[in-house]
Amino acid sequence: MKFILNTGRTIRQGKFTENKLGQGYAEETSRCYIHPLDLLELGIEEGENIMVTNVTGEVVLVALADEGLPKGMVFVPYGIHCNSVISPCTHGTGMPDYKIHEVEIAPTSEDRKTPTELLEQLGGVRYAGN
Amino acid sequence: MQEIKDMICPFCGCLCDDITLEIEAGKIVSTDNCCTIGNAKFLGKNRLKNPIKKIDGTWTDITYEEAVDTAVEMLLDADRPLLFGWSGTHGEAQCVGVHMNEILGGVIDNTTSVCHGPSILAIQEVGHPGCTLGQVKNRADLIIYWGCNPIEAHPRHMSRYTTYADGYFLDNAFRNRKVIVVDVRETETAKVADEFIRIKPGGDYAVLSSLRAILRGKSDMIPDSVAGVSKTQLMQVADMCKTCSFGALFFGVGLTMAKGKYKNVRNAIEFVDDLNRHTKFTLTPMRGHWNVYGANEVMAWMTGYPYAVDFCRGVAFYNPGETTAIDILARKECDACMIVASDPAAHFPRACVEQLRDIPLVVIDPFETMTTTIADLQIPVAVTGIDAEGTAYRMDGIPIKVKKAMDSDYPSDTEILTRIYNKMLEVKGL
Amino acid sequence: MKTLLIKNAFVIDPIQHISGETMDIAVRNGKIVDDVKNPDEVIDAQGMLTLPGGIDSHTHICGTKVNFGRYMSPEDMRAGRTSRKGDMHATAGYSVPTTYGNSYRYSRMGYTTLLEGAMAPMEARHTHEEFRYTPMQDCLANTLFDGNWFALQAIQDGDTKRLAGILAWYLSAAKGFGVKLTNPGGTEAWGFGKDVSCINDPIPNFDITPLEIIVKMIEANEMLNLPHSVHLHCNNLGKPGNYMCTLDTYDAIPDINDKRQSLYSTHVQFHSYGGSSWNDFCSKAEDIARSVNDKPHIVIDTGQVMFGKTTTMTADGPMEFNLYRLYHNKWSNHDIEMETGSGIIPVVYRKKNLVNAIMWAIGLELALLVDDPWRCILATDNPNGAPFVKYPEVMALLMSKEYRDKEFETLHKSTGRRVALPAIERELTWDEIAVMTRSAQARALGLIDYGKGYLSEGAEADIAIYPIDVDSTDPARDYERIINGFSTTEYTIKRGEVVCRRGTCTLEGNHSTYWVKPHVSPAYDMSKDAAFIDGFNRYYSIRRANYPVGEEYLGRNVCMETEASI
Ligand code: SF4
Ligand SMILES: [Zn+2]
Repeated sequence: MKFILNTGRTIRQGKFTENKLGQGYAEETSRCYIHPLDLLELGIEEGENIMVTNVTGEVVLVALADEGLPKGMVFVPYGIHCNSVISPCTHGTGMPDYKIHEVEIAPTSEDRKTPTELLEQLGGVRYAGN
Repeated sequence: MQEIKDMICPFCGCLCDDITLEIEAGKIVSTDNCCTIGNAKFLGKNRLKNPIKKIDGTWTDITYEEAVDTAVEMLLDADRPLLFGWSGTHGEAQCVGVHMNEILGGVIDNTTSVCHGPSILAIQEVGHPGCTLGQVKNRADLIIYWGCNPIEAHPRHMSRYTTYADGYFLDNAFRNRKVIVVDVRETETAKVADEFIRIKPGGDYAVLSSLRAILRGKSDMIPDSVAGVSKTQLMQVADMCKTCSFGALFFGVGLTMAKGKYKNVRNAIEFVDDLNRHTKFTLTPMRGHWNVYGANEVMAWMTGYPYAVDFCRGVAFYNPGETTAIDILARKECDACMIVASDPAAHFPRACVEQLRDIPLVVIDPFETMTTTIADLQIPVAVTGIDAEGTAYRMDGIPIKVKKAMDSDYPSDTEILTRIYNKMLEVKGL
Repeated sequence: MKTLLIKNAFVIDPIQHISGETMDIAVRNGKIVDDVKNPDEVIDAQGMLTLPGGIDSHTHICGTKVNFGRYMSPEDMRAGRTSRKGDMHATAGYSVPTTYGNSYRYSRMGYTTLLEGAMAPMEARHTHEEFRYTPMQDCLANTLFDGNWFALQAIQDGDTKRLAGILAWYLSAAKGFGVKLTNPGGTEAWGFGKDVSCINDPIPNFDITPLEIIVKMIEANEMLNLPHSVHLHCNNLGKPGNYMCTLDTYDAIPDINDKRQSLYSTHVQFHSYGGSSWNDFCSKAEDIARSVNDKPHIVIDTGQVMFGKTTTMTADGPMEFNLYRLYHNKWSNHDIEMETGSGIIPVVYRKKNLVNAIMWAIGLELALLVDDPWRCILATDNPNGAPFVKYPEVMALLMSKEYRDKEFETLHKSTGRRVALPAIERELTWDEIAVMTRSAQARALGLIDYGKGYLSEGAEADIAIYPIDVDSTDPARDYERIINGFSTTEYTIKRGEVVCRRGTCTLEGNHSTYWVKPHVSPAYDMSKDAAFIDGFNRYYSIRRANYPVGEEYLGRNVCMETEASI
């Protein structure tokens, strides 16, 4: 199913920004809020994983219901997860389309990745000290 | 235990200055008056203990002196360096950054380009009718939050400056003041509004234009519904705006990141212009990071432009969309980067993060961040507001001195950047 | 102990009554001394006009409003850019240059002291941050009180001593210099989108008039024994027929200081308009000049307009909105809670626009019709009337009737019927120009006691050496030489060091911020006043404890302590 991807700040995401590699942030930024009717149509339950895809990339998120959303729009808190599917094109404004990407969403049996895993996939290396 | 009052929260653009901190054995143990986010910031743990450098794919602890030398080498070696971030540090450090960029001939950009950059583009077209937050607190009987969600992003905004803040002309703010929320989804903020306008995604421009048409007496042109908003509601809202005695429109990245970007903001500004022919109305962007507005101020007085300044030709050159961080990285033009007090690996599109990974990358930040993992060097610094001090500009332009609660052995951003800058001058024989 | 000897300088120093004498000037450790032996540096100023460093007593160079002018105007930034070179940092901007741009360009014109004309105390920290990056001049800041709630309340209560106590607290807290009133009462009315029309219009929500504000502020200012007088931007700026308001204001000004003026009336050109609309708009400079000539306790600056692009910026928020409604380009407004307002719009003054042409003429008329140059200061209200780089042209216009006539020829054809300028023969002398660009400022600001504005022993060694040979230059004919000569000094010396040489700035000028600290008795010390503290914390959006600007923002500074009579 096609959706509009809206990304933004949440209070929990804000609270964990000082520890972005920790569990709290990983949990928060890998959530995808969807209208309950859309969930029904996708044939998934709250708490199940979904695969979000577009030409830019793909990412696995967990689906959560939010009646405040309009049908056809999903909301994902800012973070490395959603940025996997955000295009760097700014249309000459300097600003990517953080709130208006078209994405395809489907149920998946794959697991979510943590930010660390996503970064490692990119070639990132955690500091082992501290 | 020591209690310090009237401290400043270095998290969001509200820059709350009434925070009480309790300190025990050189650590902040609790806060008072903070919201959850601010509280987490003050109680943050796990700082990097010393500079670290990635050698053959593994992190090695190094000294500050080695770190400074490495940073200088990496940046001086580049043809097209980018100095990015700045919204999470104090103004004095930002000034050093500008001087550094002059001699590097690089690009200096701040996080504005991915939050309210489009708002600045709109302001540069049509101006900005604004005011300080206390003016709103004391006078405004109508508040509009458009495309922003203060309950989540600026948790004390409503209690300090708007909905719940009593002011001189409003001794019972909650009853005397109306709040309108405009958004594509029913946010927590929308739930406490007197009036919620739900717009279809991408419909902001049309709704603003409709409101302006109604103000100008052209309501017969308006169809029954505009971007999902009924004409009845539009008429009612236009009337609320026109008849209030002081209206304040706050807007967020819901306008700047949506379809239309800076044109949405331009329309909002012109809506406020129009309203000033009927009553008093002001507009304020909800700036996110605590000192992102300061980064704009500093860069404006030092270079002439608020963000995205390119010194590759010696003179300051500004062209957002070309000289902004996202674009420079997406074009793979940038060949070394220094990130100060920001975490682009968490916030930039993946393609830009890949480019950052592929070039020499210096991070100046107290904590291990996502960007750390793809960096080559990180220099830990003191946290402004905790063990470093300096100037910050609130979202309405009020300059506030962010004080420190304690001393530490960490250098401040200003100190470390000055060391790097001085070393560059020395190497270049300037 | 660095020493410097300037030999054979052709000196005009009106404060010392020196009118073109060739002499040597000796400098030790930043100050002028009687003599130096074996100086470290010798400058031969043979055939060069040598004046005390220029002082601008009303300019907008630093602070929130100025910076917003930069922020909103990339087109202006593009119009004047230089890269980093030698000791000079990169600059940008034409009418609102970056801080370095302002500082270098003023320095090349021989200016060593600048008064920022309007600082909202709540945003004072910002002004001081920018002062730090204005390295070639000493800086001072006029502090805005026109809509200050505590001040208005004290006036309403008839308590002038309390008013003085409030001014004292804010001046020290903001590290400000003078008391500035911009459209008194009007900026408060603008809080709800209204304005006041003139001095007798009651102010909404306060039971007082602008006139009461002006007079009480003057009394309070003198109770504090401040170096400068009240600095007033009159009500009703920029409107046809406003000269009556200006005249009424002047008539009401008490004469209560025997050392200097009791009122500094700024950018008077903008307040000298006749007519009842833009259609019959005309100059009333003669009436205004006559009134000033009659009142030795009033000093004015002209607020000259020059043609071309510029940016207008003032604390007068309602006025800027009116101007925006005329120009329809872009408008910024920034109200400051409990204190004042502000507005910015870019403008173009055109020769073929009749109103603009009349404005240009009015500024010159004022300078030529006020008899005493000590009471008529040359300024453009930079950048409102024109960017300060136009000063040399203004000087040339005042010194040459021929130049004026030539320029006048190019204006809108009807200008002659609305102004008196073509009939004015007066050409200002070298001495008068020296007075109007430094000496009068030093006196009006009360800076002579602090060693500014003159060149004899004990003075600060702030010196401008121009490549102008007075003996061989007839300003009435050689106006091009006047313009060039005053545009770029041979040497600009700040605190005894050459900081600018033929337009190239070579050193940071070891500059200072000057601020006042009036000492008042405990009864009027607002930092201990419960009602003040309580009202402050209740209605401001920042805590009183976080409001004052600490001395760490000033770097080198001169605290001008005064003993108040309260
Ligand atoms: S609202 Fe913002 S500034 Fe205030 S306490 Fe919360 S995070 Fe800090
Ligand atoms: Zn002015």
